[in-house]
Amino acid sequence: MSIARFTPFERLLLTSRHQADTAALLLLGWVLVNQGPVGEDQRARLVSLTRDFRHGHDLAPLLEIAAAQDLDAIQLAAEVLQREARGGYPFLRLAIALAAGQGEPSPANHHVLRFLADLLGVPPQEFAALYEATSQRPLQEPADPSRHAYWQPRFEERARREEARRQAEEQARRAERQREEERRRKEESGKKREGRGKTHEGRERQEDGRRQREEQRHGESRDGHRRREEQERPRHYAPPGRQGRALQVLGLAEGASRQEIRRAYRRLAQAHHPDRFHAEGEAVMASASRRFQRIKQAYDYLMREVS
Amino acid sequence: MRDLYRRLGVPPDSDGETLSRAIAACEHRTLRRDAEAVLVEAEHRREYDALHATLGDIGRLRSRLGLTHGAHWRDGLADDFSAPADLAGSHHEALMRRLSQAALAHDRWRRGRALGLGLGLFLLGLLAGAATCHWLLG
Repeated sequence: MSIARFTPFERLLLTSRHQADTAALLLLGWVLVNQGPVGEDQRARLVSLTRDFRHGHDLAPLLEIAAAQDLDAIQLAAEVLQREARGGYPFLRLAIALAAGQGEPSPANHHVLRFLADLLGVPPQEFAALYEATSQRPLQEPADPSRHAYWQPRFEERARREEARRQAEEQARRAERQREEERRRKEESGKKREGRGKTHEGRERQEDGRRQREEQRHGESRDGHRRREEQERPRHYAPPGRQGRALQVLGLAEGASRQEIRRAYRRLAQAHHPDRFHAEGEAVMASASRRFQRIKQAYDYLMREVS
Repeated sequence: MRDLYRRLGVPPDSDGETLSRAIAACEHRTLRRDAEAVLVEAEHRREYDALHATLGDIGRLRSRLGLTHGAHWRDGLADDFSAPADLAGSHHEALMRRLSQAALAHDRWRRGRALGLGLGLFLLGLLAGAATCHWLLG
């Protein structure tokens, strides 16, 4: 006789008074963990947001599971939520409030929120509207840290700090020189000291002006450089495992036969054909057409390559 | 976001030396520049890796839940982070299956216990009878 074993989350779910609320709470905990370190404030915010929930168990074990990013538990919660939730809006509103309540959501949460929207069948336009209504801010595209441009401000910041340090050193050296001069001047007569001081000041002013002009020139050339690079970025890039990726688009494993590919293509093409979305507006149709294109391209490629 | 490790053809946990060799061998100029900005700096790489792990998780979740063609999952994301088809099936169904199995086992145990109790009482009576006979006759 095999003894059934249950993971901690499954046990919580089975003892919960309201399974959908427990599942929603775990997913909200996931959002919270992705927003940054979880302190007392964050926990209190989660509690106050979910005071209508009827799960009837402690929050701490759920937060522990969320902090461990237990993928199986999150998948189970997502399935329960998808099955039980009547329309995803109330849940998505909570998730958005949690992620964007205090400033911009973290890059990870941008993707988590979009995943939750897809899970609950909320299309991009409606999601953007919901986001704006909940957080009073327009929905931004998630930043892309795999691009050089994302890190540019930090490089600039570092360069600025370096520059400031150099300037401080320069100033210290100059002050040192001035002190030296002062000492020397004390030994000389009063009239001579006045005159020399004035010329020194003038020279300094000139130097400052030159440095400013130089800095401006640097900034311009940097901007121009970046602009040029964005134009240079190629639109298509063929990575090494293109065949594997094409198989993934069709949801197939490595080594699928031609027939399997054809069958998967027919199924997906039917599901994502733009004509099916004709009634749902232009944007939905455009996104379906992009998906359809991707599927078609993958199929064409595989038909050429796989024998 | 793109998966730079995948595009460079190195595993995500590779050390700095392997990475810099892969970056030097990369023929794509823009990709090389991006990889240098992101992966060579330890601090940048840590941040990138955290997001990389989250996106990998989301990719796996999407493939298990059948959401790899979701409207919010596009371009670089969908190309680089969609996990291969996962035929593990629904966790919820698995849980229900295990739950009914556990209930069955429990029932069987209850029935077995009742049967065992009856048998035990019968044996006890038999023993008591034998002892009484022994006492009366002996």
